[in-house]
Amino acid sequence: MSIIACLQESPLDPRDELGTLLEQAAGEGAVVSFVGVARPANKDGDPIESLVLEHHPTLTRRSLEDIANAAARRFEVSHVRVVHRCGEIPAGNPVVFAGAASSHRRAAFDVANYLMDRLKTEAVLWKREQGPAGSTWIEPTDADYRECGRWG
Amino acid sequence: MKITFYGRLADAVGRELDLAVEEPCTIARLRQRIAASFPAAAGLLEDRRVRACVMDELVPDDHRIEGTEAVEFLAPVSGG
Repeated sequence: MSIIACLQESPLDPRDELGTLLEQAAGEGAVVSFVGVARPANKDGDPIESLVLEHHPTLTRRSLEDIANAAARRFEVSHVRVVHRCGEIPAGNPVVFAGAASSHRRAAFDVANYLMDRLKTEAVLWKREQGPAGSTWIEPTDADYRECGRWG
Repeated sequence: MKITFYGRLADAVGRELDLAVEEPCTIARLRQRIAASFPAAAGLLEDRRVRACVMDELVPDDHRIEGTEAVEFLAPVSGG
């Protein structure tokens, strides 16, 4: 069993993260991963140059650890891996990697969904999109809260 | 008392605020005090998703603030 939850200001390489998870998961039957990428346009189609993720000196890491640990407790998985960027992330670059390994596929898919639903609404990060038109804070939508609420 | 703001709140109030607080004071009262001085932040400070934090722990609105405590207010969070 491994539970990894990292916050990093440096670029995130999802290939490396998946490679590490696959190595750790040797012998398991399923590995599922999700990669969130900074969008090049907002919901209105206006260009976005970068995503800025502000973090708290202690609470952010703790929130990532809490979410990863909860996923490991809740589902039959052997490995949970969450790596989240902070700082300024140029559009097109990875923001988050969320992965899991298990004996069978269902639990690993569930963990990826669970991790992302909770990260969207509970990870202690503040997100704003920067573009030629200025800067806009992005907060969870009602749908995001609903999606997270389904886990009880 | 040092008060720190994160996220959208920092735009409305500034990153840090040094405020003289008469005791006893609760987090709820502190929200009102700040809202009175920074009307642009009043709506957000009433938002239940805005959490208060003392010594790296989230605290409820009825938390009583001691004189030396620093308080942080966290705007609604969003990762992923």
